Amino acid sequence: MISISSDVIRGYNDTMILYLLLEKPSYGYEISKQIRSLSEEKYVIKETTLYSAFTRMEKNGYVESFSDEDLSNGKKRTYYRITEAGRAYYQEKCAEWNLTKEVVEKFIEGN
Amino acid sequence: METLRNYLKSMFQNLPNTREVQRAQYELGQMMEDKYNELKSQGKSENEAIGIVISEFGNLEDLAVDLGIDNYLHPEQQAIHNKRNITQDEAERFIADKQKSGIMIGLGVLLCIMCSTPYIILDSIGSGGSVYGLIGLFGMLVIAIGLFVFDRVYMDKWSFLKSQACSMDFSTTDYVHHERENYRMTHAVLLTVGVMLCVLSFVPVAVMDELNMSDFLVDGVGSVIFMAMVAVGVFFFVVTGNRVSAYNTLLSVNERGTMGGSFVDSQKEQVHYDNKKLAAVMSVYWPTVTCIYLSWSFLTMDWHITWVVWVIASLVETFIKNMNREY
Repeated sequence: MISISSDVIRGYNDTMILYLLLEKPSYGYEISKQIRSLSEEKYVIKETTLYSAFTRMEKNGYVESFSDEDLSNGKKRTYYRITEAGRAYYQEKCAEWNLTKEVVEKFIEGN
Repeated sequence: METLRNYLKSMFQNLPNTREVQRAQYELGQMMEDKYNELKSQGKSENEAIGIVISEFGNLEDLAVDLGIDNYLHPEQQAIHNKRNITQDEAERFIADKQKSGIMIGLGVLLCIMCSTPYIILDSIGSGGSVYGLIGLFGMLVIAIGLFVFDRVYMDKWSFLKSQACSMDFSTTDYVHHERENYRMTHAVLLTVGVMLCVLSFVPVAVMDELNMSDFLVDGVGSVIFMAMVAVGVFFFVVTGNRVSAYNTLLSVNERGTMGGSFVDSQKEQVHYDNKKLAAVMSVYWPTVTCIYLSWSFLTMDWHITWVVWVIASLVETFIKNMNREY
């Protein structure tokens, strides 16, 4: 079975996470679950990859973390919310992907 | 869930104990727990859930740059990974051996404290017995020194715990921690009994003296009871002290600077100090004490008081050991 190349997807983990945060702040497991379901189980992000993306984006100012209670079970969690810089970065990555896709597709058979 | 907790802890064990690393461990633990709970609620078995969580977890390489732990993940550049791992089986054997060692040293010290009793008894029933008294005295000392030497050789196999950097995984650390907590009560009882024996040791003699008993009873039997009570008290100190020091030694194996150093709250800071000088001094410690005891006793013939050398010596030894643990 063909699986996704981690080299290619690596550059777009941030994009996926930021996309999910556009709607509302979220936390680790919820995001990984959403990535799995939106990709129809074709991509499962590893916990370490996800955490690494969070810390890197927080350092770059694309997301902010805050601690809050989970309404469903009252547990303290670290939530992440997107910043203005994060939104701008997301737009940039979207444009970058469109360009990448456009270029690569010219070389793909059957298109 | 316990398995996952152990998995995560052992993964982080040798990483530096910094805020970033602590946070990473906590957050990753949260994610694992969430995923595990969800898989379980979907009807997966314990093993299936654990298998899935671990297979999808990833590895620390992904975090290396973000956490500044590059150095720790590439052991060929770092001595930090050349640590001797202590298994639970070894930990159990070490504790058992320390227990035996405590009994041997305890008996040795007991014999040392008691060694003048044959002389005293024979002396108190009249003249002529002192040669046999001296034979008894030396006999007991020889056995005691034999015990000390044997103990040193016997425990030598564990010397790597002090001379080599070691590490212990989470479940073993947790095991030792619980053993220590369980032993707390026994330790307290033995110490209390030991102290009471020492404090009350003069009572029988005083009572006998008060009752105007014969010299044989007061000076002979009385002194022997007195020394025996002190000796048994000290025996308890040594035995229980050794057991506790076994736990403390094991719990201080993981360095404070790494995540392994914070597995359980009873772990103490341990600097791997240069122990060689101290080890050299301590190797002649008991023989020196024996010399002091014999010289003092034979020079003054004050056998009734010179036994305190043993009590002081064992207190000083404990003191030196504890001082060294702290710095």
